[in-house]
Amino acid sequence: MLNQKKLIVSHAPFCHDGSSISVRSYHMMIAALPAVLFGFFQYGINAVGVVALSISFAIIWELAINKVTKRSISIGDGNTALIGLLFAMLLPATSPWWLVITGTFVAVVIGKHIFGGIGGNPFNPVLIGLAILMVSWKDFFDFDQALLNYDLGFAMVYPLAAVKHLGTPGIEAFSTGGLLLGQQSGGIGATFGLGLILGGIYLIVRGFIRWEISISFLAGIFITALLFNLNNPTLHAGPLFHLFTGYTLIGAFFLASEDSSSPVNFIPMLIYGAGAGIMTVLVRNLGSYVDGVVFAILLMNLINPIVDKIRPKALGKVV
Amino acid sequence: MTPQKELKLAYSLTIILLVVGVISYAAAPAKTPDEPVRMMFKVVAGNVLFDHKTHTVETGYGLACIDCHHHRAEDEEEEPFLACGYCHQIPKEGEALPQSCVECHEPDEIEDTEMIKRADAFHSQCEECHKDAGIGPVKDEERCAWCHFMM
Repeated sequence: MLNQKKLIVSHAPFCHDGSSISVRSYHMMIAALPAVLFGFFQYGINAVGVVALSISFAIIWELAINKVTKRSISIGDGNTALIGLLFAMLLPATSPWWLVITGTFVAVVIGKHIFGGIGGNPFNPVLIGLAILMVSWKDFFDFDQALLNYDLGFAMVYPLAAVKHLGTPGIEAFSTGGLLLGQQSGGIGATFGLGLILGGIYLIVRGFIRWEISISFLAGIFITALLFNLNNPTLHAGPLFHLFTGYTLIGAFFLASEDSSSPVNFIPMLIYGAGAGIMTVLVRNLGSYVDGVVFAILLMNLINPIVDKIRPKALGKVV
Repeated sequence: MTPQKELKLAYSLTIILLVVGVISYAAAPAKTPDEPVRMMFKVVAGNVLFDHKTHTVETGYGLACIDCHHHRAEDEEEEPFLACGYCHQIPKEGEALPQSCVECHEPDEIEDTEMIKRADAFHSQCEECHKDAGIGPVKDEERCAWCHFMM
């Protein structure tokens, strides 16, 4: 009985299984690819320009800050390329070049490197970049205005703006299936719901993101939107509409789950995700901004260190 | 992947995408079609998103150009249509008519000596037509918000 072996650990040398930050980054980029390609298909060469410029400048800014701070070159881990890609996915296809360059600077330098680089950032760098730009040049993020000259064969009014100003009569033209298949205006890589869900499932199955955060985020949005909708069905849209419009799906699978700005314990992850979901719908239905995903996740990033203190009690601890 | 290979991948990604990005931006300047699809009128009372295409296509309201762009006489068919704000603007101080009118007409040729503002022109034009067609706000309190999106 006493000699029963439960854990056997051999001594070094160990074999590396090949996992690394770069593998994770590039797999996340591959998972995002269906939604990005759909954006290229819809918005053409303008979208290609935004995405290409965003990724390349994110890497250039990281290289520059590595040189300035005399640290080792960290662009090989792919994390900054991922920041560039996700940032571009949230932008409208007509974003001017200087907006992309400024945004990637804010995301990579202020969002990530000021805090010490990868793993040290308290906020999601992509969202820091986007939030600062949204507040500074809000006209460029008004999708109705940015995409005026596009006619893609479906109702081109930004769904969240329509429901905010006109209530549910304003969104009769949108069907749930159509929204899932990307028949809505919005960010380059944020409209193709089905692609984002498939990418998200792939990341969850491979263990690159935690399902607890994504699912609780979506559940938080669903339940809060349902309550608002039951309370006033002509003013507030139903839960499915909120799930498949705006930045909801890209937020759930690619933004809220960013590792250093989200909790690691089970209960904290649920609180974090659900809190971001609830805040999103509160901003959308009651706040002045059309979409609340960006600010909701940033706000939950802020309380991440506190909620992560909720952890199992040490064995034998009395108080 | 070894760190050297990762670095090489990142460098090549940067160069390729930078070239692609610059070419895409250069090749695709912001497109502005001859006939607008949608237009955004920016006003203090809330921006108005005007769907030009819905008003013109047969599956929409199917209006003729001349129904709204009323400035063109029959013998001027070759002339291009002008934007509403080209004529409907507040005259400069000391002028009875905006500069755009007297570019073509002698002041005594024009019957109405005062040009109505663009906002008034839109309000009367949009509201009258929508009222006749029975498309639009039913209740009085919905009148503003039907077109103006308050941000």
